[in-house]
Amino acid sequence: MLKGLGSALKKATDKIAGAIFIDQKLIDSVATDLQRALIQADIDIKLVSELTNKIREAGKSKIKGIEKKEQLIKFLHDEIQALIGKEKQELKLSKKDKILFIGLYGTGKTTTIAKLAKYYKKRGKGVALLGLDVHRPAAPEQLEQLGKQIEVPVFIDKQEKDPIKIYEKLKTQIEKYDLVLIDSAGRAALEKSLITEIKNISKTIKPTHTLLVLAADIGQTAKKQIQTFKESCNINGVIITRMDSSAKAGGALTACAETKAPIYFIGTGEHMQDIETFNPKNFISRILGIGDLETLIEKVKSATDEKKQKQIQKRAEKGELSLLDVVEQSKSLGNMGGLDKIKSLIPGFGAIGNKIPERILDDQEKKVKKWEHIVKSMTPEEIKTPELLEKQTSRISRIAKGSGTTTTEIRSLLKQYKILKDLVKSGKNMSDMADLSQGLSQKQIMKLAKKFGKKKMMRF
Amino acid sequence: MFKKLKEKLQGFFKENEEYVKQSVKEPTKIEKKPEEEQIKEQILKQTIEKVQEAEKKQDGLFKGMKKKFGLIKINQKKLNEITEKLEVLLLENNVALEVSDEIKEKIKQEIQDKEISKREFSEKIREIIKQTIKEILVEPFDLIEKIKQYKNQNPDKPFIIVFFGINGSGKTTTIAKIAALLQKNNLSCTLAASDTFRAASIEQLEKHAKNLNLRTIKHDYGADPAAVAFDAIKHAQAHKLDVVLIDTAGRMHTKGDLLREMEKIVRVTKPNLKIFVGESITGNDATEQAKKFNESIEIDAIILSKADIDEKGGTALSVGQITNKPIIYLGTGQNYTDLEPFNKEKLIERLGL
Repeated sequence: MLKGLGSALKKATDKIAGAIFIDQKLIDSVATDLQRALIQADIDIKLVSELTNKIREAGKSKIKGIEKKEQLIKFLHDEIQALIGKEKQELKLSKKDKILFIGLYGTGKTTTIAKLAKYYKKRGKGVALLGLDVHRPAAPEQLEQLGKQIEVPVFIDKQEKDPIKIYEKLKTQIEKYDLVLIDSAGRAALEKSLITEIKNISKTIKPTHTLLVLAADIGQTAKKQIQTFKESCNINGVIITRMDSSAKAGGALTACAETKAPIYFIGTGEHMQDIETFNPKNFISRILGIGDLETLIEKVKSATDEKKQKQIQKRAEKGELSLLDVVEQSKSLGNMGGLDKIKSLIPGFGAIGNKIPERILDDQEKKVKKWEHIVKSMTPEEIKTPELLEKQTSRISRIAKGSGTTTTEIRSLLKQYKILKDLVKSGKNMSDMADLSQGLSQKQIMKLAKKFGKKKMMRF
Repeated sequence: MFKKLKEKLQGFFKENEEYVKQSVKEPTKIEKKPEEEQIKEQILKQTIEKVQEAEKKQDGLFKGMKKKFGLIKINQKKLNEITEKLEVLLLENNVALEVSDEIKEKIKQEIQDKEISKREFSEKIREIIKQTIKEILVEPFDLIEKIKQYKNQNPDKPFIIVFFGINGSGKTTTIAKIAALLQKNNLSCTLAASDTFRAASIEQLEKHAKNLNLRTIKHDYGADPAAVAFDAIKHAQAHKLDVVLIDTAGRMHTKGDLLREMEKIVRVTKPNLKIFVGESITGNDATEQAKKFNESIEIDAIILSKADIDEKGGTALSVGQITNKPIIYLGTGQNYTDLEPFNKEKLIERLGL
């Protein structure tokens, strides 16, 4: 995600920092590089030329030496920050909310709604889904199936073709929920009949929020779409989806900043947990490879089960850590959306992370699944004290046969067990030991990143 | 689609013509003026202003000479101005950077430091752009013709088409439109619900099938997409159907596993056509998407959906250039008939070239 833009920014900063003289030539080359990177990130051409002109202007200032370098680098960061937006904007919900989702065809409205329902359900809201997409075939079914998956009630009418009538019919039933997420049909901002329809829906429902769902790979059309939707439908926020593609999302992000439409969430994958709140500042540090601890901790918190974590910790303190705990622990990592999702969040991982091929990260998730099978082929004794296996290696080949895995896979599980044990041990000794259930502490994460990185590096 | 790009191109040509008109009277002095700022819009304005200014104090002798020869030489600076202006215009209309670079390079090669008759100048640039677009876009084939030909040669084997693309690009809708088109041309077909991942994707395809009175071959969610496709082909063979249309799950070109799943579908079905369905509103990422899909399974043709949303149209150029594969249709709306054959000549005509 946004790798190209991040590396271009880093290159520009390095160029300035590494230069002996800051002359017009250097500034020009930095500006040209940056211009290309920004254009490739789909950022509005006018904004790009404004920015590069500003940089050229800033390069002319009379300050000399190191101060000028610092000033230029800071200037660069500030300008990019201004492009993407500064403050994190939170979607403020009251006790009863109705959120209407609109957007172009195929941007991921329905998927986003289900993700958000899961997100808010985890945070204790009584959530319901209402399907008003009467145009696309099987749209109600899609919502229905997703609702089943995340265990959230879904209100749809498969026969009725008038969204307003559907709403009138289901109105009383949805009233008792804290948060109703409303799906609507995909539409182009320039299509009059569909815009009138959504206006009427909006008038009848009176949603507390209307959110526009936008795909990250939208090109130079982004601004126009946002503006038109803003004018016609009164949207008060944006969710950007498909952030996991190679798209630079520059068009969508900057268009939002420009039209002052706050971005509340970003969608980062096709699974239900793949949604994050959007914080422009952290986002920039993430694309620059600095990491984003805040989001990571939030993810860890929402993915891990507090009770289970406390149990694991207690057992670990007593020296009773079992293999089941290891599997549980690794699974919750999977709940965060897999390692490739969180690697950009870990500080210091950016540099190592790029060296790990995607394939390996995919494999990691599969590995965890195999671990489950392995544990199921073990005797209760072996699960409790895995050290047994190291003493009697014949047990390993028995388990391998029983679970349909290889001995290497079993050994990798044992290794993981050791790492977790060490981690808990070292955590105990640390003065600032964090409660595992409160998420991992910064130090622990760094350590984990180091360990993980090392292990992978050794393989290559 | 293409409306915007056309407007912009027309404006661009006009400005070039203006420039030629004025440069006839322009003394060479102008060229030695100090470097202007890089803001493209301003550059042209400034140049024009300066030319007009210079016109007032122009040298009669000079004028005569220029007129006599009727030639202008485009120096590098002026050329850069022209190409940069063209670049902004292309980029604004969703043409990817790589593609616009190619067009720019071509123009440079053709006219830099060459003496060109003033009458030909604007025409020349127009010609180059036209030529470049012609080269970028591969001539589309007639899908129906192709299927009919195949049918004559292989009466027992169905023609197999698989559709690929990223999430939400409009694969299922496009398949329904193609199915309707086949029916219109008296070709029978069946649909394979190989998208076994997205919620209600099977139902979506089934509803289309019901509307069009077709059969959908399906398994459960989570089933192997290749197996579904295989069954559909067997079904088509048994019932002597002409075409099998295979719907697949949307996949990001960044996910290795999903790309390999797609490779498996191709391996198992051995399709006659692999069609990439892209969105015409995608920006620079369009090249990346098309490239990755093409690398993974080597696509045969492209259909661009959502052409009704966007009036820019640059994505067609980007995708065409990067894959070197023909764009065969444009999706232009929500109805089954909203499928427009992509016509290269017509596009060039529509761009006013």
